[in-house]
Amino acid sequence: MVDKVKVKERESTLEELREVNDDLRLPSVPEKVSFPIDVVTPEARTQTPAVGQRASRPDGRMHGLGQTKYIDDMSFPGMIYAKIKRAGVAKARIKKIDLSEAEKMPGVMATLIGSEIPVNSFGPSYQDQPIIADKLIYHAGDPVAAVAATTEQLAADALEKIKIEYEQLEPIFDPIEAMKESAPEVHPGQGNIYSSKIIQKGDVDKGFKDSYRTYENTFSTQMVEHVPMEPHASIAEWDANGRVIIHSSLGRITLGRADIARTLDMPINRIRVVATVVGGNFGGKNEITTEPILALLSRKTGRPVKGIYTREDEFMSSTTRHPFIMDYKTGVSEEGKIISRKVRLVCDGGAYCSWSETTLGKACILSAGPYNIENLYVEAYAVYTNKTMTGAMRGFGAPQVCFAYESHMDDIARDLDIDPLQIRRINAFHEGSASPTGQVLQSVVVKDSLDVAADRFGWEEWQK
Amino acid sequence: MDVELIINGEEKTASIPPETTLLKLLREEFYLTGAKTGCDVGDCGACTVLVDGEAVNSCLMLAGQLQGRSVETIEGLANLEDFHPLQKNFEDLGSLQCGFCGPGMILSAKQLLEENPEPTKQEIQDAIAGNLCRCTGYTKIVEAVADAAKEMREEP
Ligand code: FES
Ligand code: FES
Repeated sequence: MVDKVKVKERESTLEELREVNDDLRLPSVPEKVSFPIDVVTPEARTQTPAVGQRASRPDGRMHGLGQTKYIDDMSFPGMIYAKIKRAGVAKARIKKIDLSEAEKMPGVMATLIGSEIPVNSFGPSYQDQPIIADKLIYHAGDPVAAVAATTEQLAADALEKIKIEYEQLEPIFDPIEAMKESAPEVHPGQGNIYSSKIIQKGDVDKGFKDSYRTYENTFSTQMVEHVPMEPHASIAEWDANGRVIIHSSLGRITLGRADIARTLDMPINRIRVVATVVGGNFGGKNEITTEPILALLSRKTGRPVKGIYTREDEFMSSTTRHPFIMDYKTGVSEEGKIISRKVRLVCDGGAYCSWSETTLGKACILSAGPYNIENLYVEAYAVYTNKTMTGAMRGFGAPQVCFAYESHMDDIARDLDIDPLQIRRINAFHEGSASPTGQVLQSVVVKDSLDVAADRFGWEEWQK
Repeated sequence: MDVELIINGEEKTASIPPETTLLKLLREEFYLTGAKTGCDVGDCGACTVLVDGEAVNSCLMLAGQLQGRSVETIEGLANLEDFHPLQKNFEDLGSLQCGFCGPGMILSAKQLLEENPEPTKQEIQDAIAGNLCRCTGYTKIVEAVADAAKEMREEP
């Protein structure tokens, strides 16, 4: 054995041998974001007695730093994007859906139509809404197909290639017309009035006879979209154990989870819904929208699928505030005391029930106003039309009827030449008054509130 | 196509398809998700950022137009020591509720305060006219901007 081996001197560095470009070693990390490391709690957040103090929010700092992560701010490895094709016709029968052109497009990974959804119906009261319309179109915002592609733009382009043949049917848009027996049915075989309620107290006809004067008027309110600044958003990921994780902007995740389980025909324990900060809900994010679609697209592709509503989707297909048509008839004494009131409410529910039942009930109970009325009759109907569906929105029917009964009160006061504040004081609930449905009311401060408010904004002055 | 620009004071380059908007560039290439997509058509102001100091709707600007220009996003406002006075006052007054409009709102206000350190209520309202907020009713936002202006005048 030789003592010493002569080793050839290495001439190049290891880096050179490997031909490594050092720039490529830089990790691909998100941009740096700075915020102060020492956490200072604002004064407002350290106050314990809440009443009379300024309110702030625990997440306010994150919002201002742009650090709050809404659904659209999240992404997962391998994530793809879904877009929804909408009908664009108010009522029709689907004759044929041709997805072949869309499926051929580069980047398109999967498509989905209504017949592929295990249980294609949902809704918080009645299950009358399809996830994706498969046979009939009930309103122009109905989804008819979905596409998942590697980018949002490709998914949107693919929607253009989907060809659908419709047989146009006669739609109905006016809720009063829709109540008639001869009206075309929105949901065939079901009748357009899907919920009705009556409240009866005393004898209205006798009340009207005993009245000094009676007044009649019709009030109507329009459809209102919530327009949350953050559009509906979800990301679904189907895993190898057959479970699905859904990050969603849903406000009512427990209800949503049950609906997702039902529509996917899966036990609820296989569905995990992760809620995050919601960029405005106002009632419009109380129900599922595309979650089951994204889940199924994820199963088809083995990838996380993100679906964000465009603002157009939002206006066309998310829920809205119910338009109401409200007939009021009121009999009063010479002093302005309400003797008798009759109310008929027609709530235009759009294509699906959603929360119309709840809305109708609340509107009904509140429709007489916060006033003591011996003789009362209220009838209320929720009606299907081929329009964007209505659903939960702040107040659940209360703002609509409030607009009607207060406008009505003003009309009466003007005609009787009574101060509008006074006519309300004469009739307002007091401690122990009974609501239209017989509930005895406690802690009633309507009159005090009116007086304080009138005093603070200078009612007397304003009257001059 | 390639674009070189300055984002929050740092030089950056990106290779992007030509139809990429500034909003997409920030959110998807640089993970700066502070600017939000509210409408993607220039109506809501949730995507507001400052380009060469001027508030713009980043959803309406193509990334290609940014060649050589300087962009400031909400992520560039605070540093390791302190918040921007606007951020501090927005937090203290509880000016934001869901917060989705916040980053855009604050950047519009920042441009205002740089040009006009002593704005009237009307001037503040005009400056944020392009930034919709559906939650707050704007009252606390206007107050926070006024308070921040005061603070910045006192200790510049
Ligand atoms: S997202 Fe740019 S203005 Fe709405
Ligand atoms: S805080 Fe929700 S939109 Fe402004």
